Amino acid sequence: MSLLEIRNLRASIAGKEILKGVNLTINEGEVHAIMGPNGAGKSTLSAVLTGHPAYTVTEGQVLLHGKDLLSMPPEQRAREGVFLSFQYPVEIPGVSMVNFLRTAVNEKRQYEGKEPLKATEFLKLMREKRALLEMADKLNNRAVNEGFSGGEKKKNEIFQMAMLEPCLSILDETDSGLDIDALRIVAAGVNKLKTPNNASIVITHYQRLLDYIVPDFVHVLADGQIVKTGTKELALELEQKGYEWLNQ
Amino acid sequence: MAQPIIISQSGSYHYVQDTAGELTIYVLLFTSEEVDIEVSQMVSGCSVTIKGLCYISNKDSARVHTHVKHLASEGQSQQVVKFVLNDEAKGEFFGELYIAKDAQHIDAQQTNRNILLSRQASMRTRPQLIIYADDVKASHGATTGQLDENALFYMQQRGISKSTAQQLLLQAFVKDVLPLSLDGVSEHIQERLLSLGIGEEV
Repeated sequence: MSLLEIRNLRASIAGKEILKGVNLTINEGEVHAIMGPNGAGKSTLSAVLTGHPAYTVTEGQVLLHGKDLLSMPPEQRAREGVFLSFQYPVEIPGVSMVNFLRTAVNEKRQYEGKEPLKATEFLKLMREKRALLEMADKLNNRAVNEGFSGGEKKKNEIFQMAMLEPCLSILDETDSGLDIDALRIVAAGVNKLKTPNNASIVITHYQRLLDYIVPDFVHVLADGQIVKTGTKELALELEQKGYEWLNQ
Repeated sequence: MAQPIIISQSGSYHYVQDTAGELTIYVLLFTSEEVDIEVSQMVSGCSVTIKGLCYISNKDSARVHTHVKHLASEGQSQQVVKFVLNDEAKGEFFGELYIAKDAQHIDAQQTNRNILLSRQASMRTRPQLIIYADDVKASHGATTGQLDENALFYMQQRGISKSTAQQLLLQAFVKDVLPLSLDGVSEHIQERLLSLGIGEEV
């Protein structure tokens, strides 16, 4: 059974169709890059997979480990192991990172029928995962993303990914706004979290990120459909020739 | 510092500050109540803080009127009043700030922030500043809105249920208007705070 199967997915926002029949199969252990011009539907795809309320699915099916993903509320999709590293992580004033993450981890554990983590176990886990992203301790006592720099916010996304251990991670332009050092740390974090049982979708405009997170497949999304699929060489070709080349 | 005053039921409450010092008042309302507070600063060097939380549901309506009168110089006042309105609840805040002609060097702030949890809930807010002195700092601001949809989705995407996410956002919203200690708060009010999940320290 595939980890994720997207069949003829169509979705719209405010009456405008953005996804026009997306088909994609992802198996365990695979990294899929999705590239494409602005407005192609890349971020819409991540929003639809995670259940953002602004989008309406008009047709198609998405199966996660064979389960109907689209019928689940956003929190259940997350507990089933779908994680989105947001392009624009949201600031939540007044909610501390510790409280936020402890709630998230324990609600997921409860869903899995596990006991909640004790405070000491939880803090130990946080320390371990924080080291992975070379994050400063002080960030965890601050409110979620509040006052974080662009790089800190992206590291914080991958840190949360490390804490939640998803089976499917969607990285939505995780490289945007990162300098080269932060990019290396974030990519190293993502690579360390890779296991034979999980998979990633890496949405990016630039080939640069794919030097660090090497994809098994590269897909080009244009006007709401996947128009070309290849291996990592396709990303290099796109970088040289641009997307116009695909229309020729 | 003197023990704060806690107001949790209808009435007109008058305070006269006739010696220099600080006064702290908390308003905590969870059902239909009408509260009028008047504070008069008679001598210089007085400071008053009024914090309020009105968290109401069903068809209840809660009203808070404040009248802060700066009648002497070098006074301070700070008001932060918040309403959380669910179902068909109605809230009203009327904040009057008066600074007399001879009351110079006053520093007065008034903030009213409100969250509507349902489309049927409604809020009326009316700040009124009456200032006759010319060397003062006075500010006011009022906002009414919903819980941040983006923040809710972000938390749900991490596996937090929508109701828990709402509660976390509400806890954050009300944190700065609650007393630092629940000692001296009536058991009934403590129960209400805890049942709303907003009184516990995290």
